[in-house]
Amino acid sequence: MKIAIFPPNSLILADLVERKGHEPLVIMKEIQKKVTDPEIDSPPLNITEKEPIKGLKYAAIEVPSGVRGRMAIFGPLIDESNAAIIMEEAPFGFGCIGCARANELSMYFLRKKGIPTLELKYPTSREETIEVVNQINTFLDELEEKNG
Amino acid sequence: MSQENQNPKITRMLVLGPSANISTSELVQRLHMMEIPIIIKSTCYGAIVHGDKKDVEDSIERARKLDPYNIFIKDRGFPPGDPRRCRGHRGAAREGFHQLEREFRLLDFVGEALKQPQKVRLKKPQKVSPDVFREIINEKTKKNHKKE
Repeated sequence: MKIAIFPPNSLILADLVERKGHEPLVIMKEIQKKVTDPEIDSPPLNITEKEPIKGLKYAAIEVPSGVRGRMAIFGPLIDESNAAIIMEEAPFGFGCIGCARANELSMYFLRKKGIPTLELKYPTSREETIEVVNQINTFLDELEEKNG
Repeated sequence: MSQENQNPKITRMLVLGPSANISTSELVQRLHMMEIPIIIKSTCYGAIVHGDKKDVEDSIERARKLDPYNIFIKDRGFPPGDPRRCRGHRGAAREGFHQLEREFRLLDFVGEALKQPQKVRLKKPQKVSPDVFREIINEKTKKNHKKE
């Protein structure tokens, strides 16, 4: 199954999903398409003017182009997903207001999609981490049981 | 279509946890000894492997077996040594390093949880409504009266 993870660049989430034989939908795969595309010849500008237009599918025209540009990358991952794991309050999810709004919008779309979703808080201690890992593994096992 | 597009190359990061049984140099040595045609780069956190999808997946599958609970793997968008991201060219920590640094602190606990998996309940137990609680009390008290 294709599992959307949030934050979409998390090492822990991507690794745990992969260990259970599912495919984590990570932002790095989308970025890879952008930076290895031979058409793009102006590094490090890997986002072109086409991205905010693609982002219109996910955010209205009044939304700043930065958010729409980000949604052009996050959006296809959300569309593709069969399940989601959302980890809130991740310290590395912190960024500018464009990042914050794009993050909020992505989480909103994942929740709205009606797919099986596990919502967690970023762990800060040993006990919390063990609990979070067990919850993720149980969630992934249950997905397997339901979908074969 | 170019040959590059027919066989897309992927990049994966292998991150060693704090209590890994092998060092980065040993990991790189083992990867070289697999004799798989991939690019291997030694890094402070582990290694980066880059090459054809099949070869990279084969190498990471074998590398994970070296220390299954302390080697964590995730995708990377940019190829190894890319001047747009390489620390050597930028003169500062590359993007994503601080996130990795933050997650690295939890990897020990994640490994511990993976070693001793436990089934947990994902749904929190719901509160009992006063009416149901009253019914249970009434039933219990009736039974006790009968016994007496």
